[in-house]
Amino acid sequence: MMQFTHAAVTASPLHPNGAHGLGLGLFLDVGAPRARQWPAGGFASTPPPLPTSSKISLGNLNSAGCMEQLLVHCANAIEANDATLTQQILWVLNNIAPSDGDSNQRLTAAFLCALVTRASRTGACKAVTAAVAAAVESAALHVHRFTAVELASFIDLTPWHRFGYMAANAAILDAVEGFPVVHVVDLSTTHCMQIPTLIDMLASRAEGPPILRLTVADVASCSSAPPPVLDMSYDELGAKLVNFARSRNVSMDFRVVPTSPADAFSSLVDQLRVQQLVLDGTEALVFNCHMLLHAVPDETAGSVSLAQSVSLRTMLLKSLRALEPALVVVAEEDADFTAGDVVGRLRAAFNFMWIPYDAVDTFLPKGSEQRRWYEAEVGWKVENVLAQEGVDRVERQEDRTRWGQRMRGAGFRPVAFGEEAAGEVRTMLNEHAAGWGMKREDDDLMLTWKGHNVVFASAWAPS
Amino acid sequence: MKREYQDAGGSGAAGDMGMSKDKMMSAPPPPQEDEDVDELLAALGYKVRSSDMADVAQKLEQLEMAMGMGGVPAPDDGFTTHLATETVHYNPTDLSSWVESMLSELNAPPPPLPPAPRLAPASSTVTADGFFDIPPPSLDSSSSSYALRPIPSPAVAPADLSADSPRDPKRMRTGGGSTSSSSSSSSSLGGCVVEAAPPAAAAAAEANAIALPVVVADTQEAGIRLVHALLACAEAVQQENFSAAEALVKQIPLLAASQGGAMRKVAAYFGEALARRVFRFRPQPDSSHLDAAFADLLHAHFYESCPYLKFAHFTANQAILEAFAGCRRVHVVDFGIKQGMQWPALLQALALRPGGPPSFRLTGVGPPQPDETDALQQVGWKLAQFAHTIGVDFQYRGLVAATLADLEPFMLQPEAQDGPNEEPEVIAVNSVFEMHRLLAQPGALEKVLGTVRAVRPRIVTVVEQEANHNTGSFLDRFTESLHYYSTMFDSLEGAGSGPSEISSGPASAAAAATPGTDQVMSEVYLGRQICNVVACEGAERTERHETLGQWRGRLGHAGFETVHLGSNAYKQASTLLALFAGGDGYKVDEKEGCLTLGWHTRPLIATSAWRMAAAP
Repeated sequence: MMQFTHAAVTASPLHPNGAHGLGLGLFLDVGAPRARQWPAGGFASTPPPLPTSSKISLGNLNSAGCMEQLLVHCANAIEANDATLTQQILWVLNNIAPSDGDSNQRLTAAFLCALVTRASRTGACKAVTAAVAAAVESAALHVHRFTAVELASFIDLTPWHRFGYMAANAAILDAVEGFPVVHVVDLSTTHCMQIPTLIDMLASRAEGPPILRLTVADVASCSSAPPPVLDMSYDELGAKLVNFARSRNVSMDFRVVPTSPADAFSSLVDQLRVQQLVLDGTEALVFNCHMLLHAVPDETAGSVSLAQSVSLRTMLLKSLRALEPALVVVAEEDADFTAGDVVGRLRAAFNFMWIPYDAVDTFLPKGSEQRRWYEAEVGWKVENVLAQEGVDRVERQEDRTRWGQRMRGAGFRPVAFGEEAAGEVRTMLNEHAAGWGMKREDDDLMLTWKGHNVVFASAWAPS
Repeated sequence: MKREYQDAGGSGAAGDMGMSKDKMMSAPPPPQEDEDVDELLAALGYKVRSSDMADVAQKLEQLEMAMGMGGVPAPDDGFTTHLATETVHYNPTDLSSWVESMLSELNAPPPPLPPAPRLAPASSTVTADGFFDIPPPSLDSSSSSYALRPIPSPAVAPADLSADSPRDPKRMRTGGGSTSSSSSSSSSLGGCVVEAAPPAAAAAAEANAIALPVVVADTQEAGIRLVHALLACAEAVQQENFSAAEALVKQIPLLAASQGGAMRKVAAYFGEALARRVFRFRPQPDSSHLDAAFADLLHAHFYESCPYLKFAHFTANQAILEAFAGCRRVHVVDFGIKQGMQWPALLQALALRPGGPPSFRLTGVGPPQPDETDALQQVGWKLAQFAHTIGVDFQYRGLVAATLADLEPFMLQPEAQDGPNEEPEVIAVNSVFEMHRLLAQPGALEKVLGTVRAVRPRIVTVVEQEANHNTGSFLDRFTESLHYYSTMFDSLEGAGSGPSEISSGPASAAAAATPGTDQVMSEVYLGRQICNVVACEGAERTERHETLGQWRGRLGHAGFETVHLGSNAYKQASTLLALFAGGDGYKVDEKEGCLTLGWHTRPLIATSAWRMAAAP
């Protein structure tokens, strides 16, 4: 033993526990207290709340369940700052989940990217954001900037948005019956793509078209504005809508209010408050909330400046209620991404986001440009759920029941959708793949894919 | 540190001092230290123009005299002669200014410190069970408590052991060039007492005594002088001018002490290695199980603290996984199973591949274990458990081999086919940092490659250090390894305490205060390689790293051709690195189908994949 001393009798200082001293203990229990010696053992023995990898061994090979387990292990390893284990699982996942594989593999690849982005963003693993951005195809980089025409046809590809549009428009038409002035406040992520149909419907109503006032929340300038991104200014978009309305003999007034879900649209709500002061009761105020309410911070988003016990989400609904609207329509995805821990969100998102990946095969061929846009958008969502925290995490979906509680809590009562609305939705669904369906839940309508809840639409009036 | 080595220096014998002092009086006054520092650094040179030779030769002579080595006939001395006859010249001021500054140090008066005993009791560690015999002299000059212990003294050893061990938990290396009191310490280097030449040790003591008043005001300049001293010492070694080398090697710890961070550590290891070579105090291969255990421990820490081994594993696994695509029966032969850390990830990936997992056989090769444990089997047992958990049909065999050259094809051959309908087994051979060891034995690599060919593997994965520490002169090897390991140590420094420090439980988290245990242990891991590269020769020099180009030649000659590692592997390696390497200094590169991992611009390790070339 010439080269270097390792002092047999003092071997214990090499080890934090020092208990096993010499020889055999040293040899294989090297680093036993570190749990690092056998890094992949973590597959089978990572933190307690998780099922062990026995689930992996069920023989259900390559299934979504395995992928989910591995992703959960990976997320745990990242959260625990365990670089070795994380690296191993990432390597495995990379190899079993190519981003151009089947729907489960693509789903997993998107989650993997999101986890990597999270690791780089939180610095949990001492990452270098720039280097990661270069190496990982962050979903955000690929989100397409749509022209209005592209966006309109893109949205028509799937009932995801159309379902909410149709249900909402039908409910709005019912609610504003007889009002000479209709003021629609559009809180939506889809850039007024719903409005032309609404204008059409209002133009052809029995008592003649109303004066339509449209107020649009412009959230494009927020740090985490959700896709789709419209490559056109709202002024330009408004001009087109006004022209379209004129062609339908509807007198229309278009207004854009730059605002942000991060502060519960306070600038928009303030403006509406002032306007409501001078109203004479001939105007029906309608809030069309399409896939944007979930971007308003909920209770898990951290402290709210005013009262700790009240979330911005609750505040917003209360202030909407105070404006005495004729109707509030809420269309949201029926999922819950509000878990505080990333693993909880990962599980929830994995068990919801498979739907867009599964469905896309029915309406967009592999390799098509639109499919890239579509998957980038889904990837953006996954990344936002997993990788972002605080106000930047805007994908804070809650399920239908929770929204119902919130609306009731804010002083609203549900308004049931009529048969006519349900019928129109069914007709629309017939244009799409067989997997899509619709069902009623309480007073609400629910879009389903292969029987799984996807998007709900609910309508509310002040109680 | 300065304080410490001053204390240490105080241990010099008075007689030596007096003698040196006389000589010093005749030395010229200290020069103005007005060299252009950057230029010096860039040049790293110690060559001089012939027009400057007279001056330099004179100063060298003075230096040698001042160092108490007047007995050496300076004008004919190899070192000086070499300098004098050098015909490639640049930066002529280097040598003369360096010599001048060294003279100025030697000129300084000794400090008023009480001399320490020349026989430091702390030098000896004799274990009860006799794994370690009487230690030879240690050259450590950095630690006041272990001052100088040039001459082994078995008589005092046992008493010393008890006093020593609690104070020094690391005990990893001897102190020849060491300047870090935390990691250098008493040495127990068994079975080599006779090699330790007392005169050399005495000279070491003397040098320390002489040099003690050095106050290095300028770290940067001291750094340059440190590099100069290392290279000059290596050159003196190459010229077999051991008296000059001896004088120089003693300066290294002192100069290194003025440095911080990676520079100090790496210089300490190189200084130590040089000292071992100069004093013919070379590390011997150790056959005790403790060394294997310790090597394993170091390996595990190296795995944790930096991305090199992780990179090695997942790039090799990538190639193996792709080679196994669609195969129902696969067999991996791992030339260095260690703790088997490479294989769980591959097993997991195979378990989840489309179409289900193959049946997986692993042959793990490892060194003989003199003790009772069958370490290879324990590794196999753990892997088998893991494979069972994830539902992979798994067989394991441990192969004990002192050297890979002992392997014969029949040991690696698949067992008799179960039936005529059985698909033949597809074999992958995996070698991580193993091939270069074979270069120490003539013909060994050829034999091993022949064995590999005989089992007709689908793929051979090779990970090696990307450097030439084998061919060329000693000085070439020294210079290349100095650059190589400086970069390696830099990268460890850059990564700091790795994330694993946090997650590895309260016990080690407490122990992992800066610098992290992983980092310290990794430095020791690399330090052993440095020692082998610099201090060893012949069959003992096993760290014979060669570059990709050289391996390409060797493997090509043996009938293998490169399998290009795909862009997927490159992308993955980049991603995983960017995420967990702990700094943007690490860089993955693709080089003719092979992947390298380096620090900034310097590739440090390379993964390549090979298959048997089609018959011509």
